[in-house]
Amino acid sequence: MKMKLLMNQCKAELLRILRNPYYVFWSLIMPIMFYFIFTKVVNTGVEDAGQWQAHYLMSMSAFSVMGSSIMTLGIRLVQERTQGWNTFIRITPLPSSVYFFGKMFGQTIMHLFSVLCIFAAGYLMNGVSLSPAEWLLSGLWIVAGALPFMALGTLIGFMKRVDTASGVSNVLYMALALLGGMWMPLDILPQTVQRIGKWLPSYNYGDGAWRVVQGGHPQWGGVLILLGYLAIFMLLSGYIRKKQEAV
Amino acid sequence: MEHVIEMEQVSKVFHGKRAVDGISFTIGKGSVTAILGPNGAGKTTMLSMLLGLAEPTEGQVRIFGLPPKHDAVRERSGAMLQEVSVMDRLKVHEIISLIRSYYPQPLAEEALYAATGLEAADLKRYAEKLSGGQKRSLGFALALAGNPDLLFLDEPTVGLDTTARRRFWETVRGLAAQGKTILFTTHYLQEAEDIADRILLFSRGALVADGSPEEIKSRLVQRSLSFLPEGDAGELRRHLEQLAVIKEISDRDGRIHVTTDNTDEALRVIYTGGFAVKDVRIDQGRLDAAFEQLTLEPEAVQP
Repeated sequence: MKMKLLMNQCKAELLRILRNPYYVFWSLIMPIMFYFIFTKVVNTGVEDAGQWQAHYLMSMSAFSVMGSSIMTLGIRLVQERTQGWNTFIRITPLPSSVYFFGKMFGQTIMHLFSVLCIFAAGYLMNGVSLSPAEWLLSGLWIVAGALPFMALGTLIGFMKRVDTASGVSNVLYMALALLGGMWMPLDILPQTVQRIGKWLPSYNYGDGAWRVVQGGHPQWGGVLILLGYLAIFMLLSGYIRKKQEAV
Repeated sequence: MEHVIEMEQVSKVFHGKRAVDGISFTIGKGSVTAILGPNGAGKTTMLSMLLGLAEPTEGQVRIFGLPPKHDAVRERSGAMLQEVSVMDRLKVHEIISLIRSYYPQPLAEEALYAATGLEAADLKRYAEKLSGGQKRSLGFALALAGNPDLLFLDEPTVGLDTTARRRFWETVRGLAAQGKTILFTTHYLQEAEDIADRILLFSRGALVADGSPEEIKSRLVQRSLSFLPEGDAGELRRHLEQLAVIKEISDRDGRIHVTTDNTDEALRVIYTGGFAVKDVRIDQGRLDAAFEQLTLEPEAVQP
């Protein structure tokens, strides 16, 4: 019964996401455009072009998935609440955990799809060539490493108005991307920014994938920082949820 | 009789204001009850507490003898709420099948399709593309998805056209005939009077009247007499004003109207006193008037 409930919920959430090309489009258009500009149009003057193309492909994949985790998820959650749909779900026997899991599942499948599209774009535009293990590992890292950002999106989802959520998540998203070295490598940014950036989830998220395409693997320190952010965001979510539901 | 709903001294305080104030009532199995009251009377707050969406500040709510949030309560009840949109990007039949899957013993899909009143083609449309009234009808079907024993309907017919409204209440009557307990809120007096076998009248967070529509009417409706004056109307009015049994005098359409708590006594006094009147009529007030009276001056009618 529980398993079937979960599968039904996941199926419904997946359908909803796949049928909303708007979200998929926006999570792809900007990263792919950036990728095109900074690997084909602007001469970045890097020595190893192949290395840069692979590095920046990871940056843009992570940038896309991080954005959809924070913004798409957050804004959709606010929408569902303001439209009263959440309230309806709360009075049905569906456990809220199943509802929530369904959302995360739909989101993750969408991320998987985004990663595949952006990887394909990198291959087609620049002939980025990685070993099968590198493709697989970096892709999995980007999909799995999105967890802390989904938790952040969930926090955004507690906001009262779609406008606020959209504004706040946009600013957070852009700041995290810039300071985390997703738009340009962190080592060309000022020292202070670098020092802050190293502690941000966005840098550590990108870093895992960057290391994979250089033939390395994600660092334990980075994993711990990401898990730390995940724990903080989840605790905050739990606290806010309790407060909001104790009306 | 089995108590489906028990409210015991329930209060709800919002920002220091008592939205619901010390309400107690029980609702028996198979009854159709209307929670009637103007906007801001505390109807929605009451319903939120019954649904376990809000916790009472004081007092206790029990549904089927259990707290409203209990799984067993969720499985046996259904609700149609106000301001609930539909899940976007799912087709009508997909939403119905999804919500059905939440319940252990759901109603048959065909029965739910029928409850929406939608054409077969509309069932295949995206739910967000339906008109406002059609969405309400879908909301009704979703409330029935679990084949509930207890049904909450919050202002269910707002936004429905006459045909849809009639079909809606026909379905509700059918459900009541099956022994289901139904509680609905409304500010349409006519609906409460036509559908419910019990009315709970709310005003400013308090329960100001509780009874069958007839009881409420007979207890609260103000009666009045009207007649035509014979001779000097001014002098007649001066005499009438001195009678204790008459509360108010007014002129309408050339007739003199007097309101009274006791029409028999008023008639006796008028005839034995030799007042110059003709064409005397006794007017029964309407429930609308009772409603207005109750909700405007709640303290005047408390038992």
